Amino acid sequence: MTSTRRTVLAATAFAATLALSPAFAQAPIEIELFFPVPVDGQLARDMTTMVKEFNEKHPAIKATPVYTGSYDETLIKTRAAMKAGKPPAAVIMSANFLLDLKIEGEIQKLDDLIKTDGKTNDAFMGQFFKALHGNAVLDRSVYGVPFHNSTPLLYVNADHFREAGLDPDKLPTNWEELAAAAKKLTKREGDRVTRWGVMAPSNYDYGGWILQALTHSNGGQWFNPEFGGEVYYDTPSMLGALTFWSDLVAKHKVHPAGVQAGGAVSSAFLAGQASMMLLSTGSLTHIRTNAKFPYKVAFVPRNVRNEVPIGGASLVIPTGVEDARKKAAWTLITWMTNPEKSGWWSRATGYLAPNMAAYDLPEMKAFIEKNPDAGIAVKQLDVAKPWFATYKTVTVRKAIEDELQAVLSGKKQPKEALVAAQKNADEIMKPFVEQTALKLPTN
Amino acid sequence: MAEAVLTGISETRTRPAGWRPRRTTLVALTLLAPSLVFLTLFTYWPVIQVVWQSLFNQQRVGGPQVYVGAANFFKLFADNAFRKALSNNLIYAFGTVVPSLVLALGFAMALARSSRINALFRALFFLPVLIPLVAAASIFLFIFLPGVGLLDYHLAKLALSGPNWLGDPDIALYAIMGLTIWKNAGYYMLFFLAGLQAVPADAYEAAILDGAGPWQRLRYVTLPYLKPTIGFVMVIGLLNVVTQVDHVFVLTKGGPSDSTNLLLFYVYQQAVESYDAGKAAAGTLVMLALLLAISASSLRTLERSFGERDT
Repeated sequence: MTSTRRTVLAATAFAATLALSPAFAQAPIEIELFFPVPVDGQLARDMTTMVKEFNEKHPAIKATPVYTGSYDETLIKTRAAMKAGKPPAAVIMSANFLLDLKIEGEIQKLDDLIKTDGKTNDAFMGQFFKALHGNAVLDRSVYGVPFHNSTPLLYVNADHFREAGLDPDKLPTNWEELAAAAKKLTKREGDRVTRWGVMAPSNYDYGGWILQALTHSNGGQWFNPEFGGEVYYDTPSMLGALTFWSDLVAKHKVHPAGVQAGGAVSSAFLAGQASMMLLSTGSLTHIRTNAKFPYKVAFVPRNVRNEVPIGGASLVIPTGVEDARKKAAWTLITWMTNPEKSGWWSRATGYLAPNMAAYDLPEMKAFIEKNPDAGIAVKQLDVAKPWFATYKTVTVRKAIEDELQAVLSGKKQPKEALVAAQKNADEIMKPFVEQTALKLPTN
Repeated sequence: MAEAVLTGISETRTRPAGWRPRRTTLVALTLLAPSLVFLTLFTYWPVIQVVWQSLFNQQRVGGPQVYVGAANFFKLFADNAFRKALSNNLIYAFGTVVPSLVLALGFAMALARSSRINALFRALFFLPVLIPLVAAASIFLFIFLPGVGLLDYHLAKLALSGPNWLGDPDIALYAIMGLTIWKNAGYYMLFFLAGLQAVPADAYEAAILDGAGPWQRLRYVTLPYLKPTIGFVMVIGLLNVVTQVDHVFVLTKGGPSDSTNLLLFYVYQQAVESYDAGKAAAGTLVMLALLLAISASSLRTLERSFGERDT
C-alpha cells in the first residue's frame, strides 16, 4: 500500500515538474541523437567527444548520443522509438533508407528549417558534393543532411605487384587490365590456390553495392534515381557487369567461388592471400593501421566509364519531432555537418567528409598530404552517383543479391539470374508502381 | 504455456456449481497473480497482438493498417523464400537433433561411471553450453573464415583446401548445423547422464546372465529405460531448432541465396527488412502452430512412455 501511495506521490511530483518546466527558461532542451557504428568501436568514443563539445558550446541544448548498433539496427530502433511515441530528435541514417522512410512518412522535410536560416535548398545542398544530393533530396525537398560518406575503391598489395613483374605505379584502370593483372597475381600449388588475384565482397548489402559499382563502370544505372519503382536488372550493362564478375571466378579462376563477406575479404588482403580487392573507402583507416606491406588504392576499374555509387549516412529528423526539439535538432545537425566538424570526423573515422569546404581547411590539406590514399578516395566522389534506393530498398536489393550469390557459386548463368531478379524486384515494387506511375484516370 | 493451460483446466474442474469461487481457488489465484500478471503483459497480450496483426496489413503504400483477412497467409505460402526457409528448417531439425542425440547418448554412456577423468571430460563436453550462441557464432566466424580461418589453416597444412564453408550454398547450412551440434550435444548429455542413473543395475545383471552382448544390452535394456529422457530431449531439441537463429544472424544472414534461411530469421526479414508486419505476424503464427504441435505431441509421447514404465 505504502509503495502505491509513494508511486502516486512521485507521479504527481513528476507531472508537476513537467507542467512547470517551461517556466524555467534556464533548463536546456534535451534531445537524443541515434547513431550507428558500422565499422569499429573507436567511432563511439569519437561521437561522445563531438556531442560533448556541442553541448558545451550550446548551453540551451542538451544532446545525448545513443549508440544504436549497425545501420540496420539503427533503422529498427528508430522505428521502434517512433511506434512508442518517443522519436529521437535526430538520427544518423544509412543514406539509402531515406527514400523508404519518406515513402512511409517517417522522416520530415527540412525545407522550412533551411528557409528560416535564410537559404534556398540549392544553396544549402550546394555545400555538399554533388554525388550526395540524390540520396538526400527527394522530390525536390531536402530530407537528410549528408554526414559521412564512402565509395568502393580498388586496393592493391604493392609488394605482390612487384613480385609478379607488374608496376605498382600503374594500377589497372580498366577491366582488361584488372583481369590480366589478377591472372599474373594468382598463385597455385597444384589445384590449390594459395593467393587470389582479386577479391570482392558479395554478402548481403555489400554485394549489391559492389555490383552497382561494376554496373555503373559499365555504363549502367541500376535504378531510376527519380522514381522509386524502377530497377534495371535485366539490361546489357548489368549483364556485362555480372558476367565479368562471374568470369573472374569461373573462367579466369582468379577470384574465389561462392560468397565472401566484407570482413573475410579484408582479412584475406591483410594476410597476403588476396593481391587486389574492391572494398569501401570506409575501410581505409583499418587497412592503413593493419597492413604490414605497402598498399596502393585506385578508382574502381572501368569498362565503359569511371563511375561508382556512394555509400554512407545522413542526418534526418523523424516525424513527430516538433517545435523546440526540432529547432534544437536542426542546430545540432548544422553544427555537425559544418566544414570544421565534418573534416574532424573524416580524419577520425576514415569516412569522406561530405562538406566540400572541409577539404580547403589547413588541417585537412596536411592530412591528405600525409595520406595520399585518402585524397584518391575523395577524387572519386567527382564521378560518383547516388546509392540505389527504391521502394523497399533492402528487399529489392536482396532480389539481385540472391541471384548474384547463385551466379558466383556456379548455380546459375548470368542471364537467367538477371531475368529472375528483375521479375522478383518488379513483383516487390508492384504495389508502389500501381499507386504511382500506373495510377491512371479510369474514364 | 502448456502448464498454464493445464492449471486453467483444473481450476474449472474444482469450481463448485455456484459461481462463488472456493477459498482455495482464491488463494491459488492470489498466489498465481504475480506470474499471471507478467504472463499476460509479456506473453498473452503480445500473442493477441500478433494474431490481430496477422489479419491486418497496409493496403496503400505509406497508408494505415486495414483488415485483409487471410491475405497475409496466402502471400506467405506463395513466397518461395518462405517455403525455402521451411524446408531448410526441416533439414536443419533432422540434421541437428538426431546427431546431437546420438552423440549425447554416446558421451553419457562413456562417462556414466563417476571418476575424476570422467568428471573432467563431462566438463569439457559441457563447455560449449556455457557459451552464448551469439558468442559461439562469432568464434565460428573465425573458424570458418576462408583461407585464413582455423579450419582452413589446418587443412592447408595437409595441403588440402577447404570449401567456402559459409559462402557455398551447398555447404553453408551443414556448416551451421555442425556448429549447432557442437553447441547442443553437451547439454543433452546432461539429461542422459541423469537418465542413466535411473537404469537399475540388476537389469544389466540379468541381461548379462542371459548372455546379451553390448548391442543387445543397449537395445533391450538401456534404450527402453531411457525412453522418457529421449522424448524430453527431443522436445528441447526441436524447440531450439525453431527458436534459435543467433548463429544464422551472425554468420550468414540467411545467405547465400537463402540457403541458410530459417523460419525465425525469415520472420525477422519480413518485419525489419521488408517492413511487412502482416506477413511477419502470419509467419510467426505458423511457427507458433508448429511449436505447439511439437510440444503437444511430444508431451503426449512422454506421458505414454512414463505410463508404460509404471505397468
